Amino acid sequence: MKHTPVMTLFLAASIAWAAPLRAQEPEDLLRNQATLASEYGLARAPNFYFVLDVSGKKLELRVRGMVLRSWPLSSMRFWGKPDFQGNVELKTKSALKTPERIVVRPSGGQEQEAPGEKGEGSEFDLEALELKDMPESFRLEFDNGFHVSVRSSTAASGGFFRRLWSSWNWYVGLPVRSFLSRGHNGSGAWLELVFEEKHDAQAIYWHFFEGINGIVR
Amino acid sequence: MRAMRWLIWPSAVLHLGFLALLGAAHYTGMKRISGWGPSDVLAPVPEKDIPKVLRNARQLQKRMEALRPKGVYIVIDTAENKLYLKNGEGVVREAVVSCGSGVILEEPGGKNRSWVFDTPRGEFTVKSKITNPYWVKPDWAFIEEGEPVPKKLDDRIEAGTLGDYALGFGDGYFIHGTLYTRLLGRNVTHGCVRVGDEDLKAVFKAVPLGAKIYIY
Repeated sequence: MKHTPVMTLFLAASIAWAAPLRAQEPEDLLRNQATLASEYGLARAPNFYFVLDVSGKKLELRVRGMVLRSWPLSSMRFWGKPDFQGNVELKTKSALKTPERIVVRPSGGQEQEAPGEKGEGSEFDLEALELKDMPESFRLEFDNGFHVSVRSSTAASGGFFRRLWSSWNWYVGLPVRSFLSRGHNGSGAWLELVFEEKHDAQAIYWHFFEGINGIVR
Repeated sequence: MRAMRWLIWPSAVLHLGFLALLGAAHYTGMKRISGWGPSDVLAPVPEKDIPKVLRNARQLQKRMEALRPKGVYIVIDTAENKLYLKNGEGVVREAVVSCGSGVILEEPGGKNRSWVFDTPRGEFTVKSKITNPYWVKPDWAFIEEGEPVPKKLDDRIEAGTLGDYALGFGDGYFIHGTLYTRLLGRNVTHGCVRVGDEDLKAVFKAVPLGAKIYIY
């Protein structure tokens, strides 16, 4: 009998602790089901797709429900309409300096050379388009008007004018553009993803092709 | 002095107008961000429907698992030039390989033929397993060397170039050996995947016909 007040207190605490969890549970279940259903729709086809887990801070390349590559986000920032979640298709991939393929004509010799071909640190130069030739900073435009800019953390420290331009664009250009296009459906959502490793941003450029489908959650 | 006033006033009005626009833009943007939450998207589930939702989720999970390859399969990362021999989630073996160079070869002489030396990406299956393969050189191999394309099949056959084993995955593409081991880890091939001798032997022995290959 001595333990009765302690037990009552313990029970009350348990109920108080469990109540919000239980209230939250059905929504989580439904969300989980909706995510699974979206992914199952993509995984049924043999094509690659991506999952951008904003809250989990990671970007994943998947096929058949399997994770092929996962890139953890170093940081991110968002501007505009928050209703960009759901299934998306990559429409365009653009960079300030897009990598170019080398064209070889045996009679005339090499016509074009890929940028970054003679990059430092490489053991020897090759006539090839390699990961190191991919841009560290680029932009992805999706079919629902969702814009994602991807960069490595090293790409940000490009110099005073580049940082100035980046700040101007983020704090002035984007909000104004977003404000002016607020009436248009789906437009005006901007997400900037920053990856710690230089190779991560380059690998995303390599693996993400125009037309790839994905889920943003 | 009067002229200065005429300059200052419009620029001040412009400046204030711009700041007002910026303020409105930030305000609406912030409002939108604060409205961002998954709870907005989903309606609450009635208590009685919870078992159904759980059952559906479990079924979807099972269906997803059924899509995954059974047994041993190969995953190739063309950017990193890595091959992974996998079984389920586990990596059985990892190998440094060489994938396509991405070069475009154009045939001279106005023939308008061109080849892009990319390793194809997607889901494939092992269609053939060949021991001591020989290479039937395609047209581009001669054009690239600046040599005339032979008419006889015998003139196209080259032994030893592809190593001891080859795994075909369609359209003339193979996972095979190489004489140029110092180039492993670089994008140098015409689309095939070159693997070092030891790794190739292990992959060849482990992978059955029909096994899945994922190249990304």
